Parts: sequence; C-alpha cells; structure tokens
Amino acid sequence: MNVMTLEHTRTIDEVKTSFALALEMAKDEGHKVVGCLCSYFPREVAWAAGAITVGLCGTTQGPIEAAEQVLPADQCPMVKATYGRAINNTCPIFPLADCIVGETTCDGRKKMYEVLGREKSMHVMDLPQKPENPAALRYWIDEVHRLKGFLEAQLDCRITHDALLAAIEQGNRERVLLKRIHQCRKSHPVPIMGLDLVALSTSMSYTIDRKHYLKELESVLEELRRRIAAKQFACSADRPRILWTGLGNSLGCDKVLRLVEQSGGVVVCQEGCGGVTRMDDQIDPGDDPIEAIARRYLKVTCASMSPNNTRFEQIDRLITEYKIQGVIDLAWQSCHAFNIESFRVREVVKEKHGLPYLHIVTDYSQSDVGQLKVRIEGFIEQIKFGLGR
Amino acid sequence: MTAVNGFYAGIDVGSLTAKSVIIDHSGIVAAKIIRTGAVPQKAGEAVFQKVLDRAHCRREEIRRIVATGYGRISLPFADKALTEISCHAKGVRFLNPDVASLIDIGGQDSKAITLNKDGSVADFIMNDRCAAGTGRFLEIMAGALEVNIDDFSRLSVRTGEPCQINSTCIVFAESEVISLLAAGNSRSDIAAGLHQSIARRVGTMARRLKPFKNTAFVGGVAKNQGLCRALENVLGAGFMPIDADVQITGALGAAIFAKEQVLQEQKNECHDVGTYKND
Ligand code: SF4
Ligand code: SF4
Repeated sequence: MNVMTLEHTRTIDEVKTSFALALEMAKDEGHKVVGCLCSYFPREVAWAAGAITVGLCGTTQGPIEAAEQVLPADQCPMVKATYGRAINNTCPIFPLADCIVGETTCDGRKKMYEVLGREKSMHVMDLPQKPENPAALRYWIDEVHRLKGFLEAQLDCRITHDALLAAIEQGNRERVLLKRIHQCRKSHPVPIMGLDLVALSTSMSYTIDRKHYLKELESVLEELRRRIAAKQFACSADRPRILWTGLGNSLGCDKVLRLVEQSGGVVVCQEGCGGVTRMDDQIDPGDDPIEAIARRYLKVTCASMSPNNTRFEQIDRLITEYKIQGVIDLAWQSCHAFNIESFRVREVVKEKHGLPYLHIVTDYSQSDVGQLKVRIEGFIEQIKFGLGR
Repeated sequence: MTAVNGFYAGIDVGSLTAKSVIIDHSGIVAAKIIRTGAVPQKAGEAVFQKVLDRAHCRREEIRRIVATGYGRISLPFADKALTEISCHAKGVRFLNPDVASLIDIGGQDSKAITLNKDGSVADFIMNDRCAAGTGRFLEIMAGALEVNIDDFSRLSVRTGEPCQINSTCIVFAESEVISLLAAGNSRSDIAAGLHQSIARRVGTMARRLKPFKNTAFVGGVAKNQGLCRALENVLGAGFMPIDADVQITGALGAAIFAKEQVLQEQKNECHDVGTYKND
C-alpha cells in the first residue's frame, strides 16, 4: 500500500498476514489485543484499556468449507467465513487475540458466537433491537459498562476516565478524516475509484499505531484534494455514478464491486458499514464518557434493527448529495434482514427518486460471476440509455 | 450510400441457441437460428454466415454488428457487445410499440423487464443462480418423464388435474417427478404440474416489478404453448402479440442498436454513445 499514490494491490489475506507479524511484535512488547466483529463494537473502550483492536470478520470463500462441518450450509457467508477462519487455523490474527467481543445483531451471528466462544474467551454484548425505544439507550449504557468490566478483568487493567477521553478524541479524529475522504467523491468525476478506496481503507484499518493511522488518513485526504484541484480524475465523466448500499464493500468480498467498475460504472458513495454514513456520528464526551460512547454506537444502522428508518433517510439524502445515477443494494445469501429491507430500499430509489435500482443476492464464491455480469452490464446500460430521457 | 441505407446485424449467442438478424432501414431482412453447441464463438460465426447467405448479403455490406447473449464477448468480429436485457427490450418494442413489459426465458436464466414510455428499460429482475424457471429446468424434467421437449409441452395441455409440484430445485423436482410417476399419476398431469410450477415462479418474480402489464413473452421457451397458457393464468392476462419469431427479439434488438448507433454517430461525430471506455 502506498498512501501517496493511493495504490493498493495486496489481497486481504496478504494484508492480514503482514499485519499479524506486526501484531506479534506488539504483543511481545506487552500490548493486548481485542478481536472485534461488528460496527456496534465501541472500540474506544478497548483503546482506553490500552488494547489494539482488530477486525476478525471473514470475507473470503476459503474457510467456508471448514465452517460447514459445524454450521448449516444455508447461513450467510459472513457468518460461515468468520467462524471458519477461527477454527481452520488459516487466520494469522485470530490466535493473537486475547479475547473477542461480539454483539447480538442477527440470529446467525449470535448463534455462531455461542460456538465461537469455545475457541477463545468471548464477551457478547446484548444489543437492544429497537434503538428508538427510550429504554434501549439505558440498557445499552449498562451493556457498555459491562464491556468495560469484562475488558478490565480479561486484560487485567483499569480503564480510567482520562483514557476514555483520549480514546474518544482519537475516534472522533478518525471519523472526521474518513468522512472528508469519502466526501472527496462528491467531485465529478471522482478522484479515486470505489474499489481502490475500499482496498485502501480496509487495509489501512489494520493498524497498530492509531496515531500513525491518523497520519495516513491525512495524507490520503491531501492526495485526493490535490487530485481534484489538479483535475486528475480516476475515470472519465461518462461513467454512471453508483451508490452502494447493504453489504459487500470491503476487501476480499468485493467481487460485485469489482464487476461494477469493470462494466463501466463507478461507485462514488457507500451507505452502511464501511461507508460514509457511520462517520457522521461523533462522540461528545460530556461528563460521562461511557454514556457518550453508548449513545454514539446505538446510532449505527443495521438491518438487524427495527425499524431502522435512519438507513432509508440516509440513502435518500446521499442520492442527492452525491449526484447518484443508480443504486446497487447487495445482500448476502441467507441474510434475511438485509434481503427484506431491500424492498424498502427499492421504494426510496425507484419511487422517490425514479432511479435505476439493482438488488443483488450472492455469496463469496465465483460460481455466479457470469450471471452477475449480465445483470450489472444490463444495469449500466439501463442507466446510460436512459440518460437522455 | 445515404445515411439510412445499408445493413446492420445483431447476433445473440445464448447457452442453447445462437440467433442472428439482419435489418435495413425498413425492417427485418433475414433471421436465422442454430444450436450453440460447445463453442460459442463458432456458433456466432456460423449463424452470422448463414444469415448473410439468407439475406443475399456480403459481409462488407454490414455497416455494424452488435453482439448479445452469453457469448456476446466471444465474438471478435462484432463491433460492440450489449446485454440481452437492453436488446430484448429494443427488439420487442420495435415489433409491438404497445408492449410495456416482457418476460424472457432462456436456457439458463429468466428475466422480467419493464419499459419506460420511450421504450428504454425501466427495471428488470433475473432469477438467481438456480436453474428453476429456466429452459434447462424444462429439459431436465422432460428427461425425467422420458419425453422430448415438444411432447412435454403438448402433454401439459392435455391434463385432467395437474399434479402439485412443490420443489423448485432441479434435483428435488426430479425425484418428486419420479415418486409421482411411481404413485401412478399420468405423464400429462405431471407435465402440467411442472409447467405450473415454473409459471408460478417466473410470474411471482415478474410481479415484483410494478406495474407489470401489457406483457410480451419472448425467448426460446416462449414457444412452449403449455407454459404460455400457465403463465397467462398466473399473470391474469394474455400476452401481447409479437409479429416475428419470439426467439429472435434479442438479435433483432442488437441489430437495431447497431443501426441507431451509426445514425447517432453521423449526427454527432465526436460523441461516443454507450461505449465502455476502459479508462
Ligand atoms: S451489517 Fe450489521 S451485523 Fe454486519 S457489521 Fe454492520 S452493524 Fe454489524
Ligand atoms: S450479512 Fe446478514 S446474516 Fe450475515 S452477519 Fe451480516 S446481518 Fe447477519
């Protein structure tokens, strides 16, 4: 990875392998490692415990076979790959985690965590599923307190008020920079292709030194702004501008995103995990940092929540802000929550904005690539041929 | 040669058949359908040669060639490749301007498409990776009943009481058929049940697109009268008439795109319409 040229050619497995080396060295120096699995994980609490946080989600096909010896085949690939990596000894990072933290989002994750917990000491946070309910926040604040207790016991440390404030400051700075990076893509044409940004940001997120991470984000932002000023765009102006929503926008499980850009589109904005929307919610520490952290993380949107209205308001807003010409909504196979929400995404995109909408259900395998090509090329044609209307 | 004169070709290489159509300024000049076989590129070349012969036309007289279908990218002599989604829409609308939506069932997938008033694609939906609701499903089920595909369709129309078939997966449906045969059900009742099951599946998929009306049924499988009737029942309306072989609408659409693009380029020399620059 080169943050100056924004070039990135490594696969997710290569990223993880080299990260694992650095992680081992950090552990030798006495650092603790907390494995995390979802956007609801309040990372600031782990940072305040002096721990390094590392994502453990599986985004590749390889480990799925191992997982299917325990989990039923008709689970979403994310659930299977995450579990498979943990048990088939192919994840170089998993053994280095001192403990892992999960949240009760969807059924697949929550039941998988019950068996994953046998591999490593694990804490599952109970996430209230109707976040707008006033009691939900009180409950979640308690859960964040319990997480603090768990981490203190596991990592044998005390999480102080000051350490929490410092962690909040760090998280806020990261989010501001990430948001500005994403916003550079409002430019037409964009200064970076969607796939390149996904690869770059996934790979940068595997970081040990978060201060260094901030520096990297700053230089990426600077380079993007320089390109815009110098009119050095990543593609020509006639590529349809695509909004990505749902799943499948991180390195490894990016086959559809890749096809979209190979077929002549460009992804200029992503809603959801890994996208721009989560960067809006900052933490205002006030007098109770734990409460402030809890407040921020309950705002994350996910189809496992009900009614999850914020997601649709954000899609609506992003379509206008990023001058979107078509929306792609990806759900993994057997992901009931995102698959059902697609009906509501379609309503916003087609009925409110009258834009082409493509719903894709797939998994991590390559078996449907030929068929996906037809749909994606057809979708790009639909946008291009419909432009003059 | 004036702006509109000349010939344009569309070639649609599908998984089971390859189709080609030549048009001129006034309409279809010739059309040809052959089996695809194992090598899509060869099929594309062969069908193109055959349609040229039929049109009494030389290759140099074709001003532009657009390819579509699964083999669209394997034809080096085509000027451009477009998906069968755009091409079917274009071809059907040319044959019947009142069509507002269409169903295309091919060898390995099925699609439902709705059209804008100007004929451009408004929305489309395709079956996911499984073969239920495709020509392949019908072929395998005909095999399970040990009849050829034409008899299979005819049988289904002569039913007394169609069997209820619940499996949509090819493997399960095949064993369901075998148990139904063993239980003494007639071949025509089973055939009718299978047709209904596909019709329900494709019809339900199509109706996710709203509004879905004034529908044309195209693609090779649209020649199956049994399925036609069953789908009309599911959709609650008759299909719109198409004044040509329903199997050639994709190739026809491709040929029309070829013509439109030449005309567009003449109008606007520097504007490159719809090509995918690999920038
Ligand atoms: S989509 Fe939902 S379950 Fe998945 S990481 Fe995001 S918040 Fe967590
Ligand atoms: S993709 Fe869906 S089913 Fe899979 S882990 Fe995420 S929310 Fe759960």
